[in-house]
Amino acid sequence: MTRVKLYTAIYVVLFAFATAQVLVEQSGGLPYWTAFWAIIALSFVKALMVAWYYQHLKWEPRSVTFTMFVGLLAALALTTAAAYSIL
Amino acid sequence: MTDENTKADGGVADATHGADHHHDLPDPGHVKRWLVTTNHKDIGVLYTITALFFLVFGGVLALLMRLQLWTPGVSLLEPLQYNQAVSAHGLLMIFWFLSPFAFGFANYVVPLQIGAKDLAFPRLNALSYWLYLFSGILMGVSFFQGGTFSGGWTMYAPLNLPVYTPNIGASTAVLALTMFTASVTVGSVNFLTTMHRMRAEGLTLRRMPLFTWTILLTTWMMLFAFAALLAALMILSADRLLGTTYFSATGHAGSLLWAHLFWFFGHPEVYIVFFPALGVMAECFQTFTGRRLVGRKWFIAAMVLVALQSFLVWMHHMFLTSINLQIKTLFMATTIGISLPFDLMVFALIYTTVKGKVRFTTPFLFSFGALMLFILGGITGVFLGAVVLDYEFRGTYWVVAHFHYVMVGGVTALVGGLYYWYPKMTGKMYDEFLGKVHFALYFVGFNLLYFPMFVAWETPRRDFVYPEVFVGWHQVATVGGFVLGASFLVMFYNLFVSLWRGEEADDNPWQYSTTTEWAIPSPPPLENFPGKPTFRDGSLKFLPGAGSRTGGTGGSVADGGEFTVEEATDGGASVSQAADTHAADEPESHASIWPFAIGVASFVLLFGLSGLQNASFPSGIEGGFYAALTVGGLVGGLAALVAMATEEFHALTGPFGESWPFEGVENTKLGVWIFLASDVVLFGAFVGSYAFIRVAEGWTNWHHLIPEAHVPLPGLINTYILLTSSFTVVLALVAAEKGSRWGLVGSLATTFVLGMAFLVNKALEWLHLFHVHTEAFPQGWNIGTNIASSTFYLTTGLHGLHVIAGLIVTLYLLVRAWNGAYLDDDRPVEYFGLYWHFVDIVWLFLFPLFYIL
Amino acid sequence: MKLGAGDYAHVVLQQGGIVPKGTRVEVFRQIFTVFLALGTLVGVVVVGYMVYNAYKYRDGDGRGDDPDAPRLGELPTGGGGGRKLFLSFGLSTIIVVSLIAWTYGTLLYVEENPPGEEGETTNIEVVGFRFGWEFVYPNGHSASTLRVPENETIRLSVTSDDVFHTFGVPDLRVKTDAIPGQTTDTWLRADETGTYEARCFELCGAGHSYMTAEVVVMEPDEYEAWYANTSGPNGNSNSSSAGDAPDGSSALGAPTGAPSVPAAASSLEVVA
Repeated sequence: MTRVKLYTAIYVVLFAFATAQVLVEQSGGLPYWTAFWAIIALSFVKALMVAWYYQHLKWEPRSVTFTMFVGLLAALALTTAAAYSIL
Repeated sequence: MTDENTKADGGVADATHGADHHHDLPDPGHVKRWLVTTNHKDIGVLYTITALFFLVFGGVLALLMRLQLWTPGVSLLEPLQYNQAVSAHGLLMIFWFLSPFAFGFANYVVPLQIGAKDLAFPRLNALSYWLYLFSGILMGVSFFQGGTFSGGWTMYAPLNLPVYTPNIGASTAVLALTMFTASVTVGSVNFLTTMHRMRAEGLTLRRMPLFTWTILLTTWMMLFAFAALLAALMILSADRLLGTTYFSATGHAGSLLWAHLFWFFGHPEVYIVFFPALGVMAECFQTFTGRRLVGRKWFIAAMVLVALQSFLVWMHHMFLTSINLQIKTLFMATTIGISLPFDLMVFALIYTTVKGKVRFTTPFLFSFGALMLFILGGITGVFLGAVVLDYEFRGTYWVVAHFHYVMVGGVTALVGGLYYWYPKMTGKMYDEFLGKVHFALYFVGFNLLYFPMFVAWETPRRDFVYPEVFVGWHQVATVGGFVLGASFLVMFYNLFVSLWRGEEADDNPWQYSTTTEWAIPSPPPLENFPGKPTFRDGSLKFLPGAGSRTGGTGGSVADGGEFTVEEATDGGASVSQAADTHAADEPESHASIWPFAIGVASFVLLFGLSGLQNASFPSGIEGGFYAALTVGGLVGGLAALVAMATEEFHALTGPFGESWPFEGVENTKLGVWIFLASDVVLFGAFVGSYAFIRVAEGWTNWHHLIPEAHVPLPGLINTYILLTSSFTVVLALVAAEKGSRWGLVGSLATTFVLGMAFLVNKALEWLHLFHVHTEAFPQGWNIGTNIASSTFYLTTGLHGLHVIAGLIVTLYLLVRAWNGAYLDDDRPVEYFGLYWHFVDIVWLFLFPLFYIL
Repeated sequence: MKLGAGDYAHVVLQQGGIVPKGTRVEVFRQIFTVFLALGTLVGVVVVGYMVYNAYKYRDGDGRGDDPDAPRLGELPTGGGGGRKLFLSFGLSTIIVVSLIAWTYGTLLYVEENPPGEEGETTNIEVVGFRFGWEFVYPNGHSASTLRVPENETIRLSVTSDDVFHTFGVPDLRVKTDAIPGQTTDTWLRADETGTYEARCFELCGAGHSYMTAEVVVMEPDEYEAWYANTSGPNGNSNSSSAGDAPDGSSALGAPTGAPSVPAAASSLEVVA
């Protein structure tokens, strides 16, 4: 039963973070790039929580996490290097 | 082992394949066998033969080009025909010949080398093959739709758009390649799961045979590289068929975006096609010199390094574009870095011959020749690594000659592999003399063909007009091309005739071979091994017991408990008897027609879609034809998928000993995770494209492209919906674990309703945006309105397709749960959850990127 | 870090005399020659050694069986000889890395510090289109033939009006991509007067093989005289024809969809 409580707590947090992302933008209080990184960071935190608990990565061998991480790294390499090349 | 012994174990002396009669699989003589088979050896044979067909296809196109180049200027082919020949030659050789040829061996040999009876997902393996074959046929069809794609195999933008390449056939070629990419992804997931999870006891990763090592690394590279290609091709298809504007407009560097996406795939692809050849060389060098590979662990380390680094060198194909000097410097460094491990591999192979007993059989001659050619290709590649020289070599025959020395050098080794494993695959020996004749013609033809290209390097690539001074060299090359082509006629004759007249091949026709495939009959019986293979004691043994045939006529196996390979090779009787016994428990399945059906349906679907332009079919009969095909393919494909899902099919589960590093992750779960890893790259490339475009436009100079009506609220609502549906999927699993049928049904039903709500909300939002009327967007904000709308609709649309696919699975699970399934085995619910949460995670990034920032 | 090292290399390499400099033709010739010589040497040695070994250790010369020969079913292990392997590997690494480092100096020179004094350079815009080239001079004059003075560094800004092209003048060893929506910069410097050929090096459609343009290198005085006679795009119609009569190279015509681009006719002769 504790698992269900944990899952519920995570659900609530995810819900709150999604709302926070919109509020950060709507409030307009922060400079664009500060808000940008805050919103992206919130997305990463949310994604990690879903992956870690809902997808059970926490309870799988680390090799599975590592595989996904390599995929993520490849995507990030493409994105950053390509974008940087035309700066 | 004698001939009679081989025949004794169930008709394996048949020239093609083992035909054990107690299976659902028809005899090899029947056509039906080849349509339904899911056995890895059959599929290996199918891959090999199909790949050779495409070699001939691509080769004929190359010969047409060589004839055209006999003199400069138009002679044989019209300019656009020549461009089609150039493009189709490149596409066919790289995609439909080289990799699949290597994967013919991979299918046949890798399970044998690791001691598995089949791949982890036999039906997906068959599906890979059928998608491959039908994608190739689709490529062939494209020639008859006004001409195929004519923009080069690199398909540079914006020449790849209908404005410049308007033929329907060009769209078909792009779709054919997309289908091929799907085949590769399915195959990669399958091989990775198999090779990680199903190795025999004692066969740790470090101790895997080298050919298997090269395939392992190749499939890892394929998994990620082809996902990027899939993204590029999906975007290109959307540009061609739906009217998005990724590659067309000039303001946001669409041309460069294509180059980045393509080469991010394209450079790993070089190693994807070359690594298997390296594996064949390593096996042949060891066998035919009677030596173990010098510096084996460094050889492996070098390959791992190359596989990782291959994703960090792509911009060396773009040195002359507008990328900045810093990034050029960085990529020059990584490029030089990646060339060095190859030096080590080459020297390792060379030193392996020292103090050996070198036997110049046909496979060794081809491997040895391949190494020579590769050395030349490598040295001329260093020239290209010097950016200042690269500036001048760009777009010339230096590049053409260099990569043919490397790639066709790889083909040379693979041809050696064909001779090496031919006795194993057919049970017959090829004619050694004709094999040597083939090598002589091949090697002479090869060098006559490609070496003059270095001399005449100032010929512009893909041109048929070139300076008069090079006419002589090009004529030599053309002659060489025909010699090279003719050499394959010798091979086809030899291999074909040997099927009937060849000597019977022993289990192990090669002295000093070490790997497992040589310890079993030629060709191996359907179940491969006479017992459970193990390396527990440091060398191969076949154990009776779990996973093997026990009981029955037992013979020496049952009495002796276990026997070693030496016994097996010396006293063939024990092997045959073991293989002749009957399965104790449920045997693995080997036949399913549904992969073939899915292949046909996909072919029909994509053939139909090729008729699309700007999201509509042409009017009249032609349009009706394409629309009908699209609908038919879609319906048929769905039906075949459901049929395959409900079909009873017993696959191997493993583990059989070694599963590092995925112990405890069951096969299907690992398959889902590996697939998701490739999906990460797919979405990553979509998001990367969006980021690149926004950077090119000026990141903050973006909002004028978007109507006021595009507000965060619908996205936020959908975020809430999707998060909630993730939560209900979690609850579904909890309910299944607790054995609560109605809890499970309720949670799944809620998930389904939420998913539908997501789609409905999205549809309403899109309809609203399509019909906005503002000063800036008088015609609405449609998919082709501008680049912001294109990226928005396409990226969230791809995500929407993932949601739809997930809902179809939910519906399937729901129906089965209603009937009481999943309470004792909740794994399908868990694995579906992995996918659904992933779709959720993707949205967590798409939402801020497309709605907030 | 990367750039710091680059800057350092920059200083060292630029001051030393070993970095090839001069026109692109000279630079290319020097580097290519060295690469070709070393490449041939390495190739001959390695392939020769390979063949020598294979022949020397061929089977059937009466040597006995190695008691440690590989056996069927053994777990794969490596053979000995690691030291020799690393020696060869180290040697090849040194050769390759030093060769590339050496040319990196030239890359910096070519990219950032081309020959010629500041201010002397002329900047000409090059626009590729299917299937020809348009050259736009600083005064707005546009032509289908590129005329440049001898012994002067000419900067080229290259772009494209339709698809991806690559602009190159093989004899002057200058080449750069012509990308729609992007501008790439390069330079050229010719030692001798004469007529050269510029052409496209990236497949761009039916007329790709014929997508050429003349490059005329003139005596500086002659060039100045010619240039003074040209005027902006709206000036003397003789010297800047905006007519769409295709030149010989685009006789194939652009298929539908290709923007029509003024192919400056060869009326330049009138002025020259």
